[in-house]
Amino acid sequence: MKFTIPALATAVALTAMPAFSAELVLSIGSRGYGPAVDRNLARYEDMNPDVSIEWNKVSDVPGETRKLYVTSLTAKSPTPDIFAVDVIWAGEFAQRGWLEPLNGLLDEETIDAFNPSLLAASTVDDKVHALPLYADGIHFFYRSDLLEKYDLDVPKTWQDVVAASNTITEGEANPQFYGFVSMWAKIEGLFMNWLAFANGNGGGFYDADGAVAVNSQANIEATQFMVDLLHEERLAPDSILNARPDDARTLFQQGRAAFLMVQDFVHAPLSAENSPVAGKFDFTRVPYFEGHEDANSTTMGGWFLGINPNSENKQAAADFLADFTAKEQQLQAAVEDNRAPTIPSVYEDEAMSGNETLAKFGKNYDFGVVRPSAGSGSKYPRVSEIMQLEITNALHQQKTVEEALNDAQSQLETLLAD
Amino acid sequence: MKTRPRFGLYALVILSVVISFLPIIWLILTSLKTTEGIYAWPPQYLPQPFTLKNYINIFTNSPELLLYVVNSFIVALGCTVLALSFGGMAGYALSRLGMRRAGVLMVLILAVSMFPPVSLLPSLFQNFLSLGLLNTYAGLIIAHTGLFLPFTVWMLASYFATLPAEIEEAARMDGMGVFRIFWSIVIPLSWPGFVATGLIVFIFSWNEFPLALVLMTQNAMRTAPVGISLYPGEYAFPWETISTATVLAIVPILVITAIFQKQIVGGLTAGAGK
Amino acid sequence: MTSITSPLDRRRHLTGIAFITPTMLVIIAILVYPILQSIMLSFGQSSIDGSEPYQFVGLKHYAALAQSERFWNSLWVTLLFTGLSIPLELAMGIGLAVLMNEHFKFKGIARLAVLFPWALPTALNTLMWRWMYNTDYGLFNAAALQSGLVDRPINWLGDETLAMGSMVVVAVWKTSSFMALIILAGLQSIPRDLYEAGRMDGMTRWQEFRVITLPLLKGPILVALIVRSMDALRTFELPFNLTDGGPVTATESLSLYAYKVIFDFIEFNYGAAIVVVQFLVIFAMSLLYILTLRNKD
Repeated sequence: MKFTIPALATAVALTAMPAFSAELVLSIGSRGYGPAVDRNLARYEDMNPDVSIEWNKVSDVPGETRKLYVTSLTAKSPTPDIFAVDVIWAGEFAQRGWLEPLNGLLDEETIDAFNPSLLAASTVDDKVHALPLYADGIHFFYRSDLLEKYDLDVPKTWQDVVAASNTITEGEANPQFYGFVSMWAKIEGLFMNWLAFANGNGGGFYDADGAVAVNSQANIEATQFMVDLLHEERLAPDSILNARPDDARTLFQQGRAAFLMVQDFVHAPLSAENSPVAGKFDFTRVPYFEGHEDANSTTMGGWFLGINPNSENKQAAADFLADFTAKEQQLQAAVEDNRAPTIPSVYEDEAMSGNETLAKFGKNYDFGVVRPSAGSGSKYPRVSEIMQLEITNALHQQKTVEEALNDAQSQLETLLAD
Repeated sequence: MKTRPRFGLYALVILSVVISFLPIIWLILTSLKTTEGIYAWPPQYLPQPFTLKNYINIFTNSPELLLYVVNSFIVALGCTVLALSFGGMAGYALSRLGMRRAGVLMVLILAVSMFPPVSLLPSLFQNFLSLGLLNTYAGLIIAHTGLFLPFTVWMLASYFATLPAEIEEAARMDGMGVFRIFWSIVIPLSWPGFVATGLIVFIFSWNEFPLALVLMTQNAMRTAPVGISLYPGEYAFPWETISTATVLAIVPILVITAIFQKQIVGGLTAGAGK
Repeated sequence: MTSITSPLDRRRHLTGIAFITPTMLVIIAILVYPILQSIMLSFGQSSIDGSEPYQFVGLKHYAALAQSERFWNSLWVTLLFTGLSIPLELAMGIGLAVLMNEHFKFKGIARLAVLFPWALPTALNTLMWRWMYNTDYGLFNAAALQSGLVDRPINWLGDETLAMGSMVVVAVWKTSSFMALIILAGLQSIPRDLYEAGRMDGMTRWQEFRVITLPLLKGPILVALIVRSMDALRTFELPFNLTDGGPVTATESLSLYAYKVIFDFIEFNYGAAIVVVQFLVIFAMSLLYILTLRNKD
């Protein structure tokens, strides 16, 4: 009898306990990393039965999801606990206090495993605020069959590209065939393209001392080349100034372009069975200008995962985060879904040796350049807007290249003054 | 008794129908094409081959689309019922009961509807969060009702205004209360107005996007337009899936439109002329 | 105006208030309160990470707006778009409604078809048009090239003048049916005997239209005009999905600019000021309508 009451009490207490010690909500899109999320959620819940994770699917289109995050983070909503952010948002959100610093929640070893230049994008005040999940970048796709037909080498410099393009278009003599297509609408992708050209000429957003110098001579030349590509050499269709990435991909897929400069997502649809150019294309690093062979001309993008500072389950969220971005998971995502890993040691694993495409992407990332989002923090959206607007002005020939870049420079100096 | 040839009339009608239908026909044709067909150059006008693969894929890969359509239906129906009831009463009171400062109130109601909904997002979300109304049918229904009430009030008021006053006067003389007059006389007489307004509000609610996006974040509670916005990838825009999903999402609207068409056609013509 | 002294009148008055109350409550909760919050925001400044409390800065943002070239551009774009699309929509809407009011075979289907454009969600609708307008592989250029109408693809969305025109076409296509629906219901309420009397007096169809139909349609037309103008002045999904506000900023409407400021730059205060100004423009235009159409009595 003496034990019955305590036993009963314990039994009651045990059954009254909540089923889960932590219920987490993860917000991430399903088009970008979906299969990996499916795999990892099930696995993690099996290993940690006291944690339940709800996958809140959001749009993969950054603009759509940003609307959602801005609204809920401003209102300090406790969910989602973990959410995916575009690389260019990481620094901005960190500065606004919208991403919980991870150094206290994760051990150093975990954090140090990641690619340092990617990690820099989410580091503010020496604290890391989000972990990179997967990366992508801009590559240069070409029609290998046409290069063969006209006995051309794979172009390395932009001058090579112009020459090759002219040969091919003259040879094909098809008014609906274009030499070069890309996504030059007034979008973020345009800034990324510009960075590729600028860096390819030894220029860039910052100068050697780290000061903003968008109107440097190297940049002016590179931008002028972009303008000439459109209006002098006429390599590209008029619609390039209206094109989003998928529009450019469609043209190339229809067999109507020799060269395509977009992110790696196009590889899958272009090589699909029903693609008219399957087996007829390949890709290389984005070209550079004469004399700048080691230019970092692969503009990078990617997605990070962070923790909501209003979350009520920060430690549980951090544990999940560490597991989700761990080396094993990234390796699997690389091998099965072709997602570029963000932990350098993954590339050395022997399981990766079979995946030639990813290895090739990875080699291009060695020449990677990131946008100045970490440096400008919460002002990055305005920085990007200024650049997009002025570059577009130059491309539409509303301003000369010098005018446009000088205007951009003065606006940027005013903006970033404090 | 028209002796003029009806040729011109029919020609105009056919032209209007074709132009109105064109993009929708294009959407339906797209959903019936294979991927190669969709991106083919020169463009394929008719599907060759014709395929139902896209529809099958949607049902097998994204059965949640049906759930989203049901959610949209619930929200739109709730919003329409509330808007017509509240709006009908308010519209009647402000246009026919001779109340003081009715005009001022009407203008105020109109004025507050002039703010772009997108700018209301942050504060609405915050308020709903604290009230626990996020991810509830009631929450989104009330939000939509608020959005569309001004329109409803004005529309119905304008229909009420076309009714001749004598009938109501007569009923008042007979000692009928306001509510009875409204219910048994005014509503039946202005029925086409109610149907037209209700249809419009239903479609407004169905297609509404920004509020539905932020107020219903749980997967199970999403509405159709928000659900469809999940199909595009970060860069890719799969027309196969999206055109199919859109066709499926608008089927309920088409059905409802078809049903109520008969009403508007003039089953019960308003107007005291009868 | 009846006075409210008799008990019957007082009961009417109270019933009237009861009739209005539910509407007012919902509107205050959903619209008025957030609007007041927006107005407050427009006069203040909040810190980036929300740590510092709201600071009153008076008209600072409005002054900044007045000097912003981009703001004036977006205002102009919005007014131009509205000025071009509304008259066209109204004319087509009235035309369609009159057409659909006639008696002919397949009337049901015709009316359904005419309603269709408007029932599609705007974003999807616009993306479809964007695809058809595509310079290189869109339906329009393909048909135009194949039929020999043009020898070079037309840059529908990339040319500064054409872009606005293309946008107006989509808007008119979509909302003529909306106008038609509202006006059709109004047409249905016009008693047939008025037309018969007119015919006996020897009126032509046009005279019938001008003397009988139009005046009785004034109410629905006014509502349709105001609602559509409000929508046109707030147009967002259309330029967002069709042109990204391009080329450069040739189709960037006020709402698009406000959206950028609020959700891209995350500057709630400045964005609130844009929204308030937008509201004032809409309000002014509505007043204009009401006064003009009232005087025509």
